[in-house]
Amino acid sequence: MSQDQAAGRRVYVGPDFHEEQHIHPDPTNFFKKYIFSFDHKVIAKQFLWYGLFFLVVGGIMAMMIRWQIAQPGTPFPVLGKLFFPQSGGVLPPQSYASFFTMHGTIMIFFAITPILIGAFGNLCIPLMIGARDMAFPTLNMLSFWSMMGSGSVLVASLFVPMGAAAGGWQSYPTLSTAIGQPGAGQTMWVVAIFLAGSGSIMGAVNYITTVVRLRAPGMGYFKMPLTIWGIWLTAILNALFVPVLAAGMILLFLDRVAGSHFFLAGAAVTKGGGDPVLYQHLFWIFGHPEVYILILPAWGIVSDVLSFFSRKPAFGYKATALSMTVISLLSMAVYGHHMFVVGMSPLLSQGFMTLTMLISIPSAVFFLNWLGTMWRGSIRFATPMLFSVGVVFVFGLGGLTGLHLGAVSSDIFLHDSYFVVGHFHLTMAASVLLGAFVAIYFWFPKMFGRMMSETLGKWHFWLTIIPISIVFCGMLIVGYGGMQRRLYNYTDYQFLQHLHMVNVWITRAALVLGASQFLFVYNFFSSMISGKKASANPWEVGTLEWTVPSPPPHHNFDKIPVVLHGPHEFANPLVKGKDWLAQNEPIEDVAVGPANVTLEAAGK
Amino acid sequence: RSMLLFIAATIAAPCLAGDVPAAATPKRPFWEAWKPVVDVSRDGYRAVDLFWYTTWMCIIAFTLVVLALVAFSILYREKPGHRAFYTHGTDRKSFAITGALAALVFFTIDMRLVQISQKDIKEYLFNWPTSADTVRVEVYGQQWAWNIRYAGPDGVFNTADDVVTLNDMRVPVGRPVMVNLKSKDVIHSFYLPNFRLKHDSNPGYVTRTWFQAKEAGNFEIACSQMCGWAHYKMRGELKVLPAADFDTWMKESQGDALRRFDPADKEQMWGWEWVQ
Amino acid sequence: MTELTLEPRDSMQKLELPVRDPRAPGARPGHPAGESVADRRKTTFVGMLMALASWTMLFASLFFAYAVLRLKAPTWPPDGAAALPKLLPAFNTLLMILSSFVLHQGVKAGTAERLRLLRSLFGTIALGTIFLLLQLAVWIPLWRSGFRIDSGIYGSIFYGLTVFHALHVLAGLIALFVVALQARRGLVTSGRRNAVRMTAMFWHFVDVVWVLLFAVVYLV
Ligand code: HEA
Ligand code: HEA
Ligand code: CUA
Ligand SMILES: [Cu+2]
Repeated sequence: MSQDQAAGRRVYVGPDFHEEQHIHPDPTNFFKKYIFSFDHKVIAKQFLWYGLFFLVVGGIMAMMIRWQIAQPGTPFPVLGKLFFPQSGGVLPPQSYASFFTMHGTIMIFFAITPILIGAFGNLCIPLMIGARDMAFPTLNMLSFWSMMGSGSVLVASLFVPMGAAAGGWQSYPTLSTAIGQPGAGQTMWVVAIFLAGSGSIMGAVNYITTVVRLRAPGMGYFKMPLTIWGIWLTAILNALFVPVLAAGMILLFLDRVAGSHFFLAGAAVTKGGGDPVLYQHLFWIFGHPEVYILILPAWGIVSDVLSFFSRKPAFGYKATALSMTVISLLSMAVYGHHMFVVGMSPLLSQGFMTLTMLISIPSAVFFLNWLGTMWRGSIRFATPMLFSVGVVFVFGLGGLTGLHLGAVSSDIFLHDSYFVVGHFHLTMAASVLLGAFVAIYFWFPKMFGRMMSETLGKWHFWLTIIPISIVFCGMLIVGYGGMQRRLYNYTDYQFLQHLHMVNVWITRAALVLGASQFLFVYNFFSSMISGKKASANPWEVGTLEWTVPSPPPHHNFDKIPVVLHGPHEFANPLVKGKDWLAQNEPIEDVAVGPANVTLEAAGK
Repeated sequence: RSMLLFIAATIAAPCLAGDVPAAATPKRPFWEAWKPVVDVSRDGYRAVDLFWYTTWMCIIAFTLVVLALVAFSILYREKPGHRAFYTHGTDRKSFAITGALAALVFFTIDMRLVQISQKDIKEYLFNWPTSADTVRVEVYGQQWAWNIRYAGPDGVFNTADDVVTLNDMRVPVGRPVMVNLKSKDVIHSFYLPNFRLKHDSNPGYVTRTWFQAKEAGNFEIACSQMCGWAHYKMRGELKVLPAADFDTWMKESQGDALRRFDPADKEQMWGWEWVQ
Repeated sequence: MTELTLEPRDSMQKLELPVRDPRAPGARPGHPAGESVADRRKTTFVGMLMALASWTMLFASLFFAYAVLRLKAPTWPPDGAAALPKLLPAFNTLLMILSSFVLHQGVKAGTAERLRLLRSLFGTIALGTIFLLLQLAVWIPLWRSGFRIDSGIYGSIFYGLTVFHALHVLAGLIALFVVALQARRGLVTSGRRNAVRMTAMFWHFVDVVWVLLFAVVYLV
């Protein structure tokens, strides 16, 4: 019950308005509390469960894909018999195609997006900027239920006759039109992506508005934690570029069900064809911002966590925030680098190449700032910190391999090879996934009120980072060896025979990677049930979510905090007794000493 | 303890997992196991050299990064009674160092890549061969095969005297080969691993690419764009013949072509007007 | 030697913010609690603006698709398709522009001008409905004459764009209808209420899209 009501105070209602102003009373009914909830913290949990479920599905698919690549034609243990009884447990080529299509789709739109953007966007934005909820709680709920509908359609599509979509996660026409995919699966894929896109847009509009309008007094843009910067920029990119994908989906849908000809061409089309390459333009105008949509939250989270556990202010905070902004801007104008072999004009190729290369300047800036944050810190290697350092490592690899692909000349050789697969797994499946782990380990106490096991967490880290590097660097190697992606059985080609050994080792490492995730699953559930109770601020950091109890009350803040400092006031020499300062903590409460000191004096 | 057991099992099981050897895996020493197949083209070195330039530069940059990461992790671990150095990294010196490093990376790596690529675009990728001895080939992808067409003695494509083959492309050594690409149903990508060359073939319109062989031999044509479930089987053969052999083969085939031509078979006329 | 000024003190002085009780009337932020009505109005405005930015990108992409297809076609209209009728759509354009003006009257209506609000809302609904009916009058004869969505790229674009836009008009009409009913029951009392203003923003947007669509699909 809200304090107003408890105190018997009247709630204020304006003369001609019926917008209510009191704190929402805590919901009492089960449905309102857990299912159709408006509370951002509950919606965050819903997104987390949703994303983790799909992460498992996508992960199992990855294991079966790897199994098939290393040992073509042998049955996958246990699950193989369950899914493919007709073939004795062997993954058939048609199913292989829908597996990598679904794996890519699920991981991007149904695992990473819900976890990092859905769950942690929802959890962090109001708590970290000092608001009671999102600007539009109803829209927030709708966004989740739109994702839910989308996920149901996608899962259902796995069971329709002729199978799920099998045209790759990009679903290029004409393969994705009735010419290449006559079944219902592809149509359902289009619908699922459209719904997921709508959910993303609703979420994005909500996030942007919340950040713009509901920051606590004193919380200027440059006092926001970098996590919020990342999520906010992501939301902006989402709001602007997911509609482009939606447009592509609408046209593809019409081509599939209404007989229109937007993307149709070739021998089967008699009455005036369209242009399949148009779809590629639409897809990548969205697709390139999308990869930053996925990674910006991870960048933000890692920037914050590196500072939190180095017990040191984020190095070059403003420069980091601005580089992320510049990257977001640049990302709108580089999409052509995915289409170097399509037959673009040389002028366009050169333009896109140059713009692509420009991205590495801001990337290098915030990357160096990460190192700068650790420099002369006082580093605590708790699990979230370990994973953050892991992100720095794998993102360095993934980002640098982007340069090979950005240059036209080498991309001609590398395009659609495993080098690309290695590149984007290092950036997404390694950096972003580890970023998601950082977020889970770090905010788990705030979400569930209990600590996760540190021992298991550390094992999980080492058993993830080592195999993950082997798997995805191995992919770079076979990619350089010339192996194309999306091959059911690469041994059909003579020129790939010798890559067998590397492929087998990739698979072995991938299986270790898959198995070690059980440590995480076990840790997650056992900690939720019987983990150590978390205090309000177990990590001793100063951002606003740690000034309220774990888990926070329904209305987050009894009193809206007034923000006084940036998010990373660590090791401030004026603060005695502890080395951190909450964002709303007046320094007078803890400080002893003069208001102005010189840096040198402070160092002593 | 049970956890340690679990971890040991996790690592051991996959490593012991059976390994079905691919048919006739050539034995190669480990350090050669990942090399791409031999490059027999005049211009393939461009992609590979650029690749290695980028790779070495990245290795240097990344080594520095990792060294810093490891050093900081060890040197700056939390010690009792010790605080981190208080700085927001906003002083001039920090900006200068960050800026300088970023600029260094940009000019030594990125701009160099752009420069080299631009040279390659000008000298090779879009520098269409015009010499009289250019071999012209039309390649028509379909699910899941490559149709190949050479103009007959009349020099015009899509006429009765064209030499048409399936999955069997022959080119001479030392003469430029210009390819017109198009496809029947879905997008394919014409991929010659031994030439470090790849180009999409789209339904609906013609795209172009070209290459020149340095050595004779039998090679493979692969498809590198997802084009349906049998994408992995879309394999063709590329036979690079000594110039004289190529001419003989061409003569013979042209003779055969007219004899084999069946005017009733409309499907056969998939060719198009040459696009230079 | 760098002078280290204390950030906290600085910002305290610059802000000059009294520590306000967020539950007091007029305090922001933190919807639904503590956000004043005036603040709430700005918040919904920002939200709607972002939503419309999104929608703009959606229609921009569709126009982009149209431009690409058109530039690639050797002739336009391609495959000898008949020219589209211009008169009816031109009249429709006028209707749409008019409807925007009518609706704007409603937004300007103050608390005491219930009739003005109602008249404007129902007027807009009427104009919008006529627009849709006239659209049907354009589509049906064309469809009967054999010009369909599957008769080549021209048909795809024509029906794809116009029908998709019409769906937005329909959505706008439904929203207007809901607001109008609320206004009749006295729940929405002035044009400054969010419900009216947001619906109006959407309607103007749909209107602008139609004008552009008319220009590029029928005229150019
Ligand atoms: C989160 C995802 C993510 C991220 C962050 C990136 C980042 C980048 N990507 Fe990647 N990319 C993908 C996901 C991502 N990519 C995906 C999914 C695909 C393929 C989709 C498909 O085809 O299915 C793809 C494909 C792709 C291609 C197309 C390849 C092809 O199909 O032929 C290209 C080409 O230019 C490219 C380039 C880049 C570049 C230049 C960056 C840059 O942003 C990288 C910038 C970073 C750095 C440059 C490194 C950091 C800096 C340092 C380490 C400091 C340097 C050192 C010192 C100062 C000492 N990417
Ligand atoms: C973010 C995205 C993401 C992620 C995380 C991954 C993760 C992995 N991917 Fe994936 N992949 C893609 C995105 C991603 N991938 C995309 C976009 C494609 C292209 C598709 C296309 O070609 O169209 C692709 C394609 C792709 C291929 C190429 C297929 C082909 O071209 O033929 C391969 C092959 O090895 C592969 C392997 C793997 C492996 C081994 C992992 C491993 O990292 C997986 C390890 C993870 C798990 C085993 C699950 C972990 C589970 C948990 C942590 C559970 C927690 C649960 C609870 C607490 C309840 N992927
Ligand atoms: Cu043809 Cu892949
Ligand atoms: Cu990209």
